[in-house]
Amino acid sequence: MTVLRLLLLACLLLFAVRHDSTASSTYIEVTAAGNRQLRLAVVPPQPMGATIRPALANEAAAVHSFDLTMSGLVAAEVKDAAPLLNGLALTPIDFVPWLSAGYDLLIRGEYELRGEELTMEFRLYDVPAKKMLTSKRFLGREKDLRRFAHSFSDEIMRALTGEKGPFTSKILYVSNKTGSKELFLMDWDGHNPQQLTSNRSITISPDISPDTREIIFTSYKRGNPDLYKRGLTGVVEVPVSTRRGLNITGAWSPDGSKIALALSKDGNTEIYTVARDGSAPNRLTVTHAANVSPAWSPDGSKIAFVSDRLGKPQLFTMDANGGNVQRFGTGGAYTVNPAWSPKGDKLAYAKSVGGFQIFVANADGSNEMQLTFEGNNERPRWSPDGRLIVFSSRRSGPEALYVMRADGSGQTKVSRNGGLSQHPVWVPQNP
Amino acid sequence: MRNGLKGMVVALGMVALMASGCAKEEVVKKDEPVVQQQTVKAQEPVRQVEPVKQPEPQPEPPKQEQTATAAKASEAVVLEAVYFDFDKSDLRQDARDALSKNAEALLKKVADAKIKIEGHCDERGSDEYNLALGDRRAKSVAKYLITLGVAADRIETISYGKEKPAVDGHDEAAWSKNRRAEFVIIK
Repeated sequence: MTVLRLLLLACLLLFAVRHDSTASSTYIEVTAAGNRQLRLAVVPPQPMGATIRPALANEAAAVHSFDLTMSGLVAAEVKDAAPLLNGLALTPIDFVPWLSAGYDLLIRGEYELRGEELTMEFRLYDVPAKKMLTSKRFLGREKDLRRFAHSFSDEIMRALTGEKGPFTSKILYVSNKTGSKELFLMDWDGHNPQQLTSNRSITISPDISPDTREIIFTSYKRGNPDLYKRGLTGVVEVPVSTRRGLNITGAWSPDGSKIALALSKDGNTEIYTVARDGSAPNRLTVTHAANVSPAWSPDGSKIAFVSDRLGKPQLFTMDANGGNVQRFGTGGAYTVNPAWSPKGDKLAYAKSVGGFQIFVANADGSNEMQLTFEGNNERPRWSPDGRLIVFSSRRSGPEALYVMRADGSGQTKVSRNGGLSQHPVWVPQNP
Repeated sequence: MRNGLKGMVVALGMVALMASGCAKEEVVKKDEPVVQQQTVKAQEPVRQVEPVKQPEPQPEPPKQEQTATAAKASEAVVLEAVYFDFDKSDLRQDARDALSKNAEALLKKVADAKIKIEGHCDERGSDEYNLALGDRRAKSVAKYLITLGVAADRIETISYGKEKPAVDGHDEAAWSKNRRAEFVIIK
């Protein structure tokens, strides 16, 4: 008996491992005929215990629907599955009604609420193949609900594309909702805004270390625009660069060892690198112009930046040691806010074409594409997977944060603060 | 046999969770409580025009801002703000005229005063670049005052970019008043 059980377990483990390896090396092919977009039905999770909380189930479904629609991979719809319900979680699902309704994918799940304790399980099914693609179970608190749902969205992206989704990631930004500009952190979809700084001064241009542990930013809290560092969690702020004049637009190098920033200590504003504690300044640009907003390429070999050495501010690239300076793209328009895509093959930026608009081009400047057309749009930053871009826009009142797909589609306001919200930085996440 | 069957059912249950290789149990730690807003004042516009200082909770005091003497001095002397063209830091004739008056006051009326020149921009440019532009405006004013005889060690500069507009508004009337350098007597 025991032998049989062991054998069985061994088989199951083998199966699990094999499945795992296929999932991580190649992606599961879910294709629809004729290249049409895959249709996903999201069924709100069903209650398992005595506590029934439809609002909670609907919120989880809304998270999945929003995340996965924004991914661009699928067209998601929340569907009440009452007539299709089979009761127990592990009983086979009747796929026929879903198939005949034209769905390719289906999310189902259960929740159990005991006091504050929340257990949730989500499963993704391939409807035509009548099989489960992935599942995940979460234990925590009721307030963790959105995080659980986002986490399964990430898992779905991994199952469908081989790469984890960005939906558990956060966005760091500046807001003046308290009356002065402070740093905030929110979920990528704008929920759970959390105030980080309380300096009652001007706080601008944050960036985050590649390990996501430390933030740098410029603050006027001691009078001069100086660069400070603080933990993402924690309250201690340490001065990094307090040189005379501007200490602005700090950008962490991809290996975390250096910070590129703009200093005006020598007269005009030039780009330097300093060590992560602010020591060992190394000047990279030598001009009579203003040079700001350095942006490291993901491999750390290049820095894009803004310079007005030819008149208006425009984009340039240089090697990380300051050599090989090249103008980026052509045309003399006012261009700022360079941001490399996570793969390093593209740059996003804001260009003034009668109001600032977001553009994307190849890293060599070719194939420029305008992504926004309405109001003023600035500060593009890519999601960790490169599928989405966050930016600030004044298209409908005070500056707010928007997210769009990297092709410009699906532009959606996500910030929910009062006041203005600006300077978004998409926080990387662990793979 | 019964036991075996039960075991199998349990195992199958586990498999269903694990089959994907992804059905990890994630035990989520409690978050620290979301720091909801401290003082949520009815949002005042950031744009108060307060050319001098901000409340300074930090233990280390910054360079002394406005002291009693300074307050007295600034009552006696008003240093005129100067204005710039869009995206420019060179001094127009009206700016030079104003600076001549300012220099005279600094040399004769408040000959021991130190000043801080604040460079500002209108809202149209990019905020990061505007910090550099404001820096350049403040320095261009400082340079001119020095050529008029004001000692360099009496002058500090700072740029606020477009963070502190003098007037609200989204038209040239407002912009032209915001592209400016202001003077603060600090000592």
